[in-house]
Amino acid sequence: MKPETEESACLYVLDRLDATERAWFEARLASEPDLAAFVGELESTLSRHLRTPAAADPPPTLLAGIDARIDLLARERMREHARAPWASIARWGIAAAITASVGIIAVQQVRRGAAPGRPYVIIVGMDSGRSTLAELPLQDRARDPDGSFIQLASLAERLWESPDGLPEKLRFAGPRSHGYALFDPASSQGFVAIQRLPATGLGKRYHLWIVDTASGRTHEAGILPLAVSGSGLYFFTVAPALDARPDHLDFFVTLEDTAPSGPVRPSGKVVLGDGRVF
Amino acid sequence: MQPDLGSEEAAEESRLLARTAAGDREAFRLLFSRYGAALYSLAVRIVGNSGDAEELTQDAFVKIWRSAGSYDPGKSRPFTWAVTIARRTCFDHLRKRRRRPAFTVLPDEAGPPAGQDGGADARHAAEAREDSERLRGALAGIPGGQRRALELALYSAASHSEIARVLGQPVGTVKSWIRRGLLDLRDTLSPKKL
Repeated sequence: MKPETEESACLYVLDRLDATERAWFEARLASEPDLAAFVGELESTLSRHLRTPAAADPPPTLLAGIDARIDLLARERMREHARAPWASIARWGIAAAITASVGIIAVQQVRRGAAPGRPYVIIVGMDSGRSTLAELPLQDRARDPDGSFIQLASLAERLWESPDGLPEKLRFAGPRSHGYALFDPASSQGFVAIQRLPATGLGKRYHLWIVDTASGRTHEAGILPLAVSGSGLYFFTVAPALDARPDHLDFFVTLEDTAPSGPVRPSGKVVLGDGRVF
Repeated sequence: MQPDLGSEEAAEESRLLARTAAGDREAFRLLFSRYGAALYSLAVRIVGNSGDAEELTQDAFVKIWRSAGSYDPGKSRPFTWAVTIARRTCFDHLRKRRRRPAFTVLPDEAGPPAGQDGGADARHAAEAREDSERLRGALAGIPGGQRRALELALYSAASHSEIARVLGQPVGTVKSWIRRGLLDLRDTLSPKKL
């Protein structure tokens, strides 16, 4: 290989070619296997050089900090998702109607029951060892899954920012872990809010489960991407949709070993909610 | 003898990047366990302090998370791609702060090897420790001018003409030294020579 070609390869691996030189070199890479193999050798050399243990240990908070920033990105995306339909709906003049419907959501205890036929979502409060079901009647039924998402997102955001809006029996206080799942049985989507779960440690992660307490059937609702704070608000969906009475639904959170395919059934420790049914 | 970080490992990391692009946080964590210590050390070496390095390493990994879908295995290996992101992040930071990297006092390569973070598996940790010993010998065997040129090319945002000025050599010589330094490092670390 010519020295000038070797030189270009070295500068390419070191990211020291300008945009034009880089494009030209990448075109050669695609058509010259020997050159690609040579670049591969240089990349291996660079990799071994940089992966050598250095004097600087990464701080233990590094991954947690990255997780927190990615969680923040996800929440911002969720808000944008929630806002975008609002803007679209507003253009069609329906915003006022939906604003009114969300604005007058009444928080009531489930056992008193909602008016027959009235739309509602359920909310399951969870702490270590128990779960409590409540029902939140809605003024209007959403027209489609997007409308349902808007209702849920608005409600979830409001409850997240003002927990005083939660039913009284779901207002957990103190330093212990707790949370709640807000779920629309009609669209099989919901939000889960988590507070103060301890860090999982490597090789572990938290799973959210939904269970039909009548049949005992359990479905995974998702993995909680918790950051160092152990707190967060996350969207989830359950598929296929559950064929269960809403007042027979319950949620709990387990700590599971990580596995490529993930657990089919809960097998780890129940950290939030009443997991006795599974 | 330790195995080369070859195409098999690159293929595995490409799969992790593909899973990361699909939103798989576990795959992303596995990538972090492989790259975290190296990229953080790289950042410390470029910016010269641990506080900025931690923030910049976070920036780099967030970029990796967001742009994993744009990774092209036909252009580079996953680790090279990640290193490019981390280096550019650090260099942008230095440019914004109008700070120059340390031209005259580069950290010594030698030093007590630190263990990897708790997420690195035992195989990688053992390989890295072996590499540490070999690398110290390998760098020591590279002529001073070539070693300095290679280090400046890797750890500083300086242009070739700026490096040439620091080393007191023509740009052509600097590029040649960078090439020779990297090839010497490759030859010294080659399993055939060990």
